[in-house]
Amino acid sequence: MAALSRREFVRLGTVGAAAAPFVLEGAATRAAAPTAQAIVDRIQRHVGVDSHPTTVDAFKAGDPSSVVTGIVTTSLATIAVMRRAIQVGANLIITSGPTFYSRADAPMPAGRRGTPPPPADPVFEAKHDLIRQNRLVVWRFSDHWRARTPDPFAQGIADTLGWTKYRVNGDPLRVTVPAITIGALAKEVNTKLNARGGLRVIGQPTARVQRIAVLPGTIPIQTTLDVFPDVDVIVAGEIREWESSEYARDLVHAGRSKALVLLGRSLSEEPGMNGCAMWLKTIVSEAPVRWIPAGDPYWRPAT
Amino acid sequence: MDSRRRSVLETRHMTAGEVVDRIKKNIGVAWRETTYRDTYKSGSPETSVTGIATTMFNSFDVVERAVAAGLNMIVPHETTFWNDRDDLTVVNADALYREKRDYLAAHNVVIFRMHDHVHDRRPDFTYVGSARELGLDPAREMPPGSHRFTIPETTLEALAADIQRRMGIRALRVVGDPKARVSRIQLGVGYATPAANGPDVDVVISGEQQEVDGGLDAPEYIADAAALRLPRGWIMLGHNVSEEAGMLEMAQWIKTVVPEVPVQLIKSGEPFWAPK
Repeated sequence: MAALSRREFVRLGTVGAAAAPFVLEGAATRAAAPTAQAIVDRIQRHVGVDSHPTTVDAFKAGDPSSVVTGIVTTSLATIAVMRRAIQVGANLIITSGPTFYSRADAPMPAGRRGTPPPPADPVFEAKHDLIRQNRLVVWRFSDHWRARTPDPFAQGIADTLGWTKYRVNGDPLRVTVPAITIGALAKEVNTKLNARGGLRVIGQPTARVQRIAVLPGTIPIQTTLDVFPDVDVIVAGEIREWESSEYARDLVHAGRSKALVLLGRSLSEEPGMNGCAMWLKTIVSEAPVRWIPAGDPYWRPAT
Repeated sequence: MDSRRRSVLETRHMTAGEVVDRIKKNIGVAWRETTYRDTYKSGSPETSVTGIATTMFNSFDVVERAVAAGLNMIVPHETTFWNDRDDLTVVNADALYREKRDYLAAHNVVIFRMHDHVHDRRPDFTYVGSARELGLDPAREMPPGSHRFTIPETTLEALAADIQRRMGIRALRVVGDPKARVSRIQLGVGYATPAANGPDVDVVISGEQQEVDGGLDAPEYIADAAALRLPRGWIMLGHNVSEEAGMLEMAQWIKTVVPEVPVQLIKSGEPFWAPK
């Protein structure tokens, strides 16, 4: 890998400087397709945020020295997303969520303390096989992507919902939309984000609202308490059900025209990974970049 | 009206402190002196109790309905002030907190939470209540106390639809192939959701779990299992729905140890709805 870094360095030298325009950087290297490591190095150079000392942003599977044939961004590197990536000839998957079902992304399920290691898990094994047989490389991009300003996950949701023009002070976390009922708003969010069954709402469906906070990811009660006084609706990814949803229930009961709309954590980060694909295209021209959404994992029975 | 008159006659000698002492003495497990959950959240032990309401989440609505029913002591399983420790420093700058606090004080309501000891005792009220509401036959729990039930083989979709109808859930969430054929259920309650990769388990039914970045993220795991055509499912009832029936069990049990005052469940109910 040291050699690759050197090659990357030399390659940058051919266009003069690391700060050379992105288009030139790409054009100069079209002949030599970059490795996954080189793509990640480039992302780290261009992302424009301080590097986190402890971060989940790392390679989770595959060989970083693999030459990249195509890049897929997604909120969750599921087997279904990997299969689609393989179909379109992409071998580098950039995900905002884990690959092996935990923050640690341990390649095998953790055993309980004091008990023998668990037997091989068929889901873990099959995912490893799929990655190995198709020479996929998976890199997680969460902490540093999230740290950009404006928040790319909020930006993605606002863009998808057509709210960008309603931003308050240019902040994608806050929008003021033309007055709409909570029922109609929930329906619109549900449709435009392609939710299947994951969307959950607290609020009077007939109440009218305008001021919306867009808070993707997982929010603690402190955030909810800080934000609700200034908005009518919080659109969040995930909360704890002994915290923000109960607060919202009490707010509504006390007569406030307010609502909490929960998207689910993964669905709330999907549009931001579309934005990630668009951003990557501006710094990577040697390989196609596309967003393959993992989609809403949840469904609800009919009636 | 009737219950109010009865309470006046019957509660003269019963304080909240005496109710709590009876609960502690009879709950069947040693009292955890270090619990921060199972403590008073409002009111004083000296208050004369007119009646007791059990509930899941101690919502503002539940508090008002308890007061209207003439019950001035509430024993909730969950929080009153929207954080696990009911830590007032988290909420004391909040206008809604002050409204709720003032309402509780104005109506002389005593709140004593019962969470940890509900889960410590055997049987745990919440598992008993949830299994009953789900229609899981205790005789089919094998081994007893394992919260594992075998049901006649069905599809994940039919099972979820049956649960949704039976419990009247508006915002049920399911992961997995709807056509997967399943029969072995692992039941969890509240946030105590069993791992999605347990051996010999087809479906986990529980209340709530962190979606991503936990110890074993079930939505991704089950979605991958479905992609591999492994028959696995994950049914999230929501935290409130999952444990609320257990608070009926608790009300019935409190009646047996505190026969002097009326005791009833006041349901907080599912907070969520889902767009059609």
